[in-house]
Order: sequence, then C-alpha cells, then structure tokens
Amino acid sequence: MELVATYGLNFAYSTATLGLIVLGLAVVFGLLGVMNMAHGEFVMLGAYSALMVQQAGLPYVLAIPLALFVCGAFGWLIEWSVIRHLYRRPFDTFLATWGIAILMRKGVEVTFGREYQSIDQSLPGTVEFFGIDYPAYRLVLMALIVALFAGLFVWYQRSNTGARIKAMVENPELAAAVGIDTARLSRATFIAGVATAGLAGVLLAPLVRVEPYMGLDYLLNSFFILVVGGLGTLEGLLTGSGIIGGADVVISAIFDKTAGYLGVLTISILFLWLRPDGIFSRR
Amino acid sequence: MAFSRAASLALAALLLAFPFLSDSFTAYQLGLYLLYGMVAQGIALCWGRAGFLPLGQALFFGIGAYLAGAALKAGVGWALLVPAFAVACLVPALLAGLVGALVFNRQIGSGPYFSLITLALSMLGFQLANSLNGVTGGFNGMTGIPGLPGIDTYETLYFVIVGALIVSTLLLAHVMRAPFGQLLIAVRENEERLQFFGFRTSMLKAAAFAISGGVAGLAGALYAPHQGIVTPQAVGFLLSAELVIWTAVGGRFGLIGPVVGAVLIGFMAAGLRDTFRYWEVAVALVFIAVVLRLPGGIGGLFPSVLRLFAGEAELGKSGIAPHPLAERGHRSAPDLRFDAVGVSMGPVNILNGLDFAISRTGIHCIIGPNGAGKTSALNVLTGRLPLATGDISWRGASLANTRPYIAARSGIGRKFQVPSIFPELTVSQNIEIAVWANRLSAREMFSMQPYAWTTEMLTELRQRFPSLTEGEKSAGSLSVGQRQMLDFSMTLLAEPDLVLLDEPCAGLSAEETRQMIEAIAAIAAETQATFIIIEHDMQVVERLSDHVLVMHQGALLANGTMTEIRANPDVKRVYAGGTK
Repeated sequence: MELVATYGLNFAYSTATLGLIVLGLAVVFGLLGVMNMAHGEFVMLGAYSALMVQQAGLPYVLAIPLALFVCGAFGWLIEWSVIRHLYRRPFDTFLATWGIAILMRKGVEVTFGREYQSIDQSLPGTVEFFGIDYPAYRLVLMALIVALFAGLFVWYQRSNTGARIKAMVENPELAAAVGIDTARLSRATFIAGVATAGLAGVLLAPLVRVEPYMGLDYLLNSFFILVVGGLGTLEGLLTGSGIIGGADVVISAIFDKTAGYLGVLTISILFLWLRPDGIFSRR
Repeated sequence: MAFSRAASLALAALLLAFPFLSDSFTAYQLGLYLLYGMVAQGIALCWGRAGFLPLGQALFFGIGAYLAGAALKAGVGWALLVPAFAVACLVPALLAGLVGALVFNRQIGSGPYFSLITLALSMLGFQLANSLNGVTGGFNGMTGIPGLPGIDTYETLYFVIVGALIVSTLLLAHVMRAPFGQLLIAVRENEERLQFFGFRTSMLKAAAFAISGGVAGLAGALYAPHQGIVTPQAVGFLLSAELVIWTAVGGRFGLIGPVVGAVLIGFMAAGLRDTFRYWEVAVALVFIAVVLRLPGGIGGLFPSVLRLFAGEAELGKSGIAPHPLAERGHRSAPDLRFDAVGVSMGPVNILNGLDFAISRTGIHCIIGPNGAGKTSALNVLTGRLPLATGDISWRGASLANTRPYIAARSGIGRKFQVPSIFPELTVSQNIEIAVWANRLSAREMFSMQPYAWTTEMLTELRQRFPSLTEGEKSAGSLSVGQRQMLDFSMTLLAEPDLVLLDEPCAGLSAEETRQMIEAIAAIAAETQATFIIIEHDMQVVERLSDHVLVMHQGALLANGTMTEIRANPDVKRVYAGGTK
C-alpha cells in the first residue's frame, strides 16, 4: 500500500511538473507553430531569476514576478526582432530560436559561471500523506499546477481572448479580416508561452540541477511530450506528460536513472518516426 | 559543383604548404578544423542540397572515432589498420542509411521531425558512450590512443588529413555534379513531383544521408589519432550543434563554404575565447543573422570567388536514352479497372463505388461538375489518396494503396492541374530529370553519361513547344502557359503507357490551347499510349476524344461517345442543375 502510494505520488508529481514545463511550448509550438528551440532556456532563465532573488536575500515568492518579467521582456524582444518575421516558416523558427538558445546559454554562462547553483527550498520538511511522508514542497507544487491548469482551461474555453486565439490559429487571414489584430495577439501569445516556461523554472528550481545547460533536457522532453500527445489539446498534453513521465519513473525504478533516460529517448524516437501526429492520430 | 582545375590545385597546394608558411602547432590546430570541415561538407550535402537537416551528425563522427581509436589501441599494423578505417567509415554510413531509409520511407517531406530524431539519436549515443565503461572508457573517454604507425601526430598527420579532405571533397563534388546531385536538388524543390517520375525519393535522401555519415566517420577515424583521446562529447549534442553552425555560417550550398566556416570559427574561437568573454554569444548572433538574412552564409557573400572553383561539367558523348520499362510490357494494350472504388476523408465520402474499365488505347475524357471526384480518382490511382474499399488494377496487377513511385514505375504518368516543376532548376535540367525517369539505374546516377541522353520524343516536343529550347532559363521564371507545356512535356518524356492529364489547358491562352490540343492528339496517335484527361471545356473534349466518362458525386454517371453522353437524360439533369 505504501509502495503504491509512493509510486502513485511520484507518477503524479512527474506528470504534473512535465505538464507545467511543456505548457509554454504547447502554447508557442502548438498554437503559433513556432518550433521554439529556446524553450528550455526560458525555463533556465526562470530558475536563475530564483537564484537572483535568493542571492539578494529576498523572499522566494518574489522570484515569480521577476521571472515573469525577465522572460516576458526577453520574449518580447526576440518576438519583435526575430520570430515575427518567421511565422508559418517552422523550419526557420527552428534554426533561429536555436541560435537564440545558444545566445541565452552563453549569456547566462558568462554572467553566472558554468557551475551548478543550489537553490534552497522555501518549504522544507515533509507531511504525512496516504500513510507516507512526502516532501511538502512537492505537494504544494502539485496543487499549484492543478489549479493553474484548471484556471487556464476554463479561461481558454470561456474568454473572448481564448476565442480570438482559436480563430487566429484556425485561419489567420480570416481572423485579421474580422478585425482581430493577429500581429499583436501572436506576440501576446508568444510572450505568455515563454513566461509560463519561466514560471516553471522558478517553481522547479529548488528541486532540479540549475546550470546554464539545464534547458536542453527540458527542451527535448517537451518536444517529445508534444509529439507523443499531439498538438493543440490539453488532454494530449497531459497524456503525453503521463506517458513520458510514467515511462521515466517505471524504468528508473526497475533499472536506474540512465535506463530511464534511454527509455524516454527510445519511446520518443519511435513516436517521432511512426506517429509524428501523436497517439490520438488516426493514421 | 565541379571544380575548375587551376583554382582547386592552387587551393590544395596552399593547404599542403601551410605548415611551411606557418608553424607546425598552427597546422596541427588547422588539421582539427579541417576534420570538422569534412563533417560539415556532409551536412551541406544533406541540408543545402537535399533540404533535410541532420542535427546529430556528431554521432557518426564519434562512432568513427571510437572504432578507429579501438583499432589503434589494439596496436595492429597498417595491413589491418586500413580495413579498420574502412569499417570506421562504413559503420556510420550504414547506420545513417538505415535511419534515413526507415524515417524517410514513412514521412514524405523534410520536416523538423527527422532533425529531432537525429538529435535524439545523438543524445542516445552520448548516453551510451557515457555508460558503456568497458567499451568506450565511459565519461573519461578512450584515452592513450597512439598515432598512426610511422606518422608523427604533430608533424606529418596534417598531410594525411589534407589528403583525406581532398579525397572527400572530390568525391562529394562528383556526387553533387552527377545526376544523383541534380535529383537531390529536385527532392528539395518538389519531392512529390519527383516521385511521380518513378524515383523513390526516400532512398535518394537515405543515400545522401549515408554518404554524409560515411564522410563524418572518416573524419572521426582521423580525429582519434589526432587527439589521442575520444570522449562522449565527440558523439554528443553540443558538437552536433556546432557543426550545423559552422555549415550555416560558412555556406551550406557548396563544399568550400562549410570548411571555411569550420576553420574560420575554429581559429577565431581559439584566439578569442580566453580574451573576449562574449565570443560565443557573438557567434550565436552571427548564426541568427545568417538564418534570418543570409541563407548562403559566407559562401553566399562571395559567389564570384566560389565560381572560380566551379567549372563546367564534362559531359559524355550524346547518346540515345535506353528504352524505359523494357521488361514491363511497354506499349502493350492498356487494361485499367476501377472496381467499386471508395475513398473517404474523415466523414466525407469522396469516391462512392466508382466502377469503370479502360481497355483500348486512345484518349478518354473524364468530365463532371466540381466536386464529382475526378481528380480524386486519379489521386487514388497514383497512390496519393488511400483506397478505402474496392480495388484498382492495371494490367492485371492490383494498384490498391500503391505509392506514387510504384505507379510511375508501372508506366503511369501524371500531370497535375497546377503545373508542378522544379523551379530552381533550369528548363534543361527539368527535362533531363524527366528523361531519366524510369530509365536511370542506380549506377548511372553517379555517371555523367545520362546528361547527354536524348530521345525522339524530346526532339518532337522541342519542335512543338519552342519555350523548351531556352534551356538556360530557370523554370521558375516561365509564364504559367510555358510551365504547363514544360510539365506536360516532362510527363510525356518518361514515356508512360497511361498518361493522366488533369485539365492540361488550364490557364492557357486560346493559341496555347490550340497548340496543346494538337500535341496531345498527335502524340496519342503516334505513341499508342493511353490518355485519360480531365477537362471542363466541352469543345476540347469533343476535339480530342470519342470516349467520355461522366462522374457525379463520386461515382460514374454515364460512359460512352460524346453523342451518347449528350443524349443521356441523367447527364442533362446534372448539368442543367436539376435534382440531385
């Protein structure tokens, strides 16, 4: 029973955090078609925002507005300077954002150094949950992520902006013709997507290794999840997170961490090869 | 791209003289960058030529390095070292070919998924190299690799590297200049059209990828004695990423550009990395600028300099092209059967039990209102749409769920309604590809002789359509009418037995329409080929054909001579807008 609870919580935790990480890419790639290779670097920027707040001795909660501001501002800058010229040219966005990713990695490396950073947990300790002791921070994090997803889902279904985004995704020319400012809406969507990635970075920073190259793992995992689950739906995103996260947890438990990583890579390669439109595609 | 002799010899001589002009340490450094340049040349073949981007090229480089390193550590002599180096080239080449064949066979086009797969494979390789301590030395790498026997690593190995670079450059230059290279451009430009000429494009791309993998393996095999150590970084993601950057910045459309990119950035990095902290940030900025504004890289800035190295290809003597499809009953009587064919797309039934047979040569026209399923019928026949129910057979063999290249190899030629050509190629290059269709063997793809092939059909078509004789013009600059004529001519140059024409006169002027109709009628009479033409213009139908098929709502409505069709009450009702 306790073992089931442990694995159940681990699985829920890994699905939730992966879902949070991939959310930003799901917005940028799934809705705008921008293959954002710098996605992981925005997660990294979020984590380094948390580091800056900690080094300044400020309360950890302040890292959230800082990360949203830093990622939002940087997102605005690259949308304006690069991305807006490349909408509907996915291959070029792929290359350009890759250059941006290198830029961000190297920039952070020059500023903060190559070494691993440690970020303290603001909620240390464990609580008893289903008969086992589970880290409190993880439980709070899961609750936050569920609330975020629920709120986002309702907002996207109900709000005018959600409807405008759907219209723009479906048919940009027609959307522009009925008076939607698609240039502005695309920019806002892009900024929202990368800011979400930054938020994921802040929330995960105390739990993961923080260094300039950390983004690479998140980037590939995120793409793999989107490919496995399929683009454009929240269900797909969560299914993909569940499959990738579940495979990692299960294989790592049976063998070791390396085997889990290799398993995820193998599953992803198979999906990219055999079912690039996702698990729900009817091909 | 061919190399004119004088300029290439000068460049090779300069490379060979470099250690005497500079010092041996700089030459040692240059040797490493030249090896990276070789890998970048392979990326240029895939990316610049064929249009698909391999993002994990270090995987093949690293495999070559580990294999050669293991052989060198075993201390075998030259007699075994030469085959070992051959293995270090062949294993990566075969692996790349296998990956390419598996991936490209399932996915047409050159989307980012292939790139992501190669990236993931490179990460997989890195992880394996890291964890297989016994084989690769794990994280610390395979250390203490001795140099090549009898060759001083810091003095003479440089000349071996330059020799390998010259060989690989000549080899790649030949591959690019030969029909294979021209077909790769066609893949980049219009992969689907090439399939309708009977070329299995997935295998062309896989072959290009295999060649790039082999070159990367050779470079890796020399990297092992050059560095004396091979670590997992040699197969990893970061080196793969840098290789793509060097290729892009140097120029991905040629063979000199990638080497220049690797050498230039390599030396600048060595000089500036320690003194200028933002060096790598600057490289990333240059890369972004290249993606946004300068797809040709540095090579694209100096086209006239590079042209010095590009001589005219030496063509073989002109010769008559071999007969296509010789063993496949070429020009025997047609036998096409649609048997209750159903095609659906989502909830919509596009074809609904389409039933007809064609068993006599001549010109058959399909007419019918918009949305009747005329083009879809041709699409399912040529494997462009999946068959849901029923069967299609051509000369007794089923074509159910065929693929375009198989339909083309069975003697079915197709011209789309919107002219489909290779816009970046010249008119004569377009024609060459059509003449090669169903004729070119795998060996001939790497020989210069097919450039000189000519056929009687080509002579006749040139007389009928004068625009075909302007061979140097790029096909993309032709008018719509001229494109229609080029596309039509290309379809016929493959000498198919069953010619499918989808509104061949769309977008033509009255005079061009007359020319086109005359050509169709005359060629149909001469060649004994069978034509199926979709046409809306009743005058054209009447001029060309005495057998008309009328389609309505995905099924056959009527079938007979023009007079019979005119008298048919069902046809009248459909065209007069009566009840459906």
